[in-house]
Amino acid sequence: MIEVIGLHKSFQDNHVLRGIDLTVETGTTYVILGSSGSGKTVLMKHVIGLLRPDRGSVRVDGVDISKLEGQELTAARQQFGMVFQGAALFDSMTVFDNVAFPLKEKRRGIGHDELRARVVEKLRVVDLGEEVLDLWPAQLSGGMKKRVALARALVAEPKVVLYDEPTTGLDPITTDYVDDMIVTTKKRLGVTSMVISHDIASAFKVADKLAVLCDGLIAAQGTPAEVRASDHPFVRKFLALWFEKQ
Amino acid sequence: MSRFRQGIEDFGQMLLFTGETFAWLVRPPFRLELVLAQMAAIGVGSTFIVGVTGVFAGMVLALQGNYGMRQFGVQGFVGGTVAFTLARELSPVFTALMVTGRSGSAIATELGTMRVTEQIDAMETMAVNPIQFLVVPRVVASILMFPALTMLFSTVGYAGAYAVGVFVAQIAPGPFIEHTRTILDVPDILHGLFKGVIFGAVVSIITTWRGYAAAGGAKGVGEGTTRAVVMSSVAILVVNYVITLVSLRGQ
Repeated sequence: MIEVIGLHKSFQDNHVLRGIDLTVETGTTYVILGSSGSGKTVLMKHVIGLLRPDRGSVRVDGVDISKLEGQELTAARQQFGMVFQGAALFDSMTVFDNVAFPLKEKRRGIGHDELRARVVEKLRVVDLGEEVLDLWPAQLSGGMKKRVALARALVAEPKVVLYDEPTTGLDPITTDYVDDMIVTTKKRLGVTSMVISHDIASAFKVADKLAVLCDGLIAAQGTPAEVRASDHPFVRKFLALWFEKQ
Repeated sequence: MSRFRQGIEDFGQMLLFTGETFAWLVRPPFRLELVLAQMAAIGVGSTFIVGVTGVFAGMVLALQGNYGMRQFGVQGFVGGTVAFTLARELSPVFTALMVTGRSGSAIATELGTMRVTEQIDAMETMAVNPIQFLVVPRVVASILMFPALTMLFSTVGYAGAYAVGVFVAQIAPGPFIEHTRTILDVPDILHGLFKGVIFGAVVSIITTWRGYAAAGGAKGVGEGTTRAVVMSSVAILVVNYVITLVSLRGQ
């Protein structure tokens, strides 16, 4: 379980997060919706310990990750896999080396055959075959990059997978595919997922619960139906733009 | 004033980065394969440009030396003075400047691109310290390869000077080599190699830092690379002067 309690963060004069409280239950998918610049990525970087809060805390299974340093933080991060907005695959490595990277680092000395088997297994989870193993990131399409990034996030069998804008910049078919991938991954592997997005359609498709971020605060949170019924002016305006199109 | 303050803050952050880099230098896991890869990229990859620069530097020194010394009838000293100048000053400085232009810019660009495309963040989320994985191998490889390239520069530079001195300027080979033995001592060679070690550390720290701290997309990477090359070049000349000053005071 992930608990974010009273989280505040400022960058110089810019008060980005102004007291965020939320709880992500184990094995569920929690989506954080918000417009660009609302602090979604900043919030996610606190969850994995890339940023430290000015006030408040982030607890993962009861452990305050914002207080950890050095080896303890390194160990805590091994519970996570993260899919970045631009995939963030290592340009200088093939698909195989990219996906194998977290496992090689976590279990130094792992045999090549076992490594290859684990990499192929995780690529299959995201519907990619062995033919991509020797390709370079520059040779992959946007959707394939996201899938390889998810395989890399899953290979060390994390308890929590974080998705940073997973559908941004993708065409509608690939977006739908990535949404399915998030849902399927949760079902197959039972991981806890946290997704940040401004894509309302995707958010309502994959979320068990969601929160809408506005001006560094949570404007509404709950099940998709509860959030849709919110009377917060920003939430109504934010959602109306999309629901009116439907 | 704010630019001055920003400069001080930036320098302070670079010092912290340097401290962290040297702390990771002695902490396992040691990544020998990454160090070897960087030695190939920084060292082996720079041999051609360093060799060409060295040959022509030696050749022009011999030409100029012969022109000046001929007026006093002491052309035999050309070999010795060229070797002495190369070993103590020109080889380490020219080598460091050439490798900064070739490999230092590549290091800053590569790490800068990794920073702005979140590859460094990704590495951190995988519980891998980016300084240990990306920076330490480049620093170690530079510290080892800069003196090796300095040695190469001196060797081919002297060969170029010999070719021009003996075959073009018609200096007798006997005095050319004999005076080299008289003028050039082992401490002079070690002095140049020591400078190579220091320049390797300075250039690699500056270029990795400028890449590591890059921000703001492609423009930020470009600015970071430019600053890396300019700062490294200035640092090489300043540090070279300080080392020479200190070494001569001791004599």
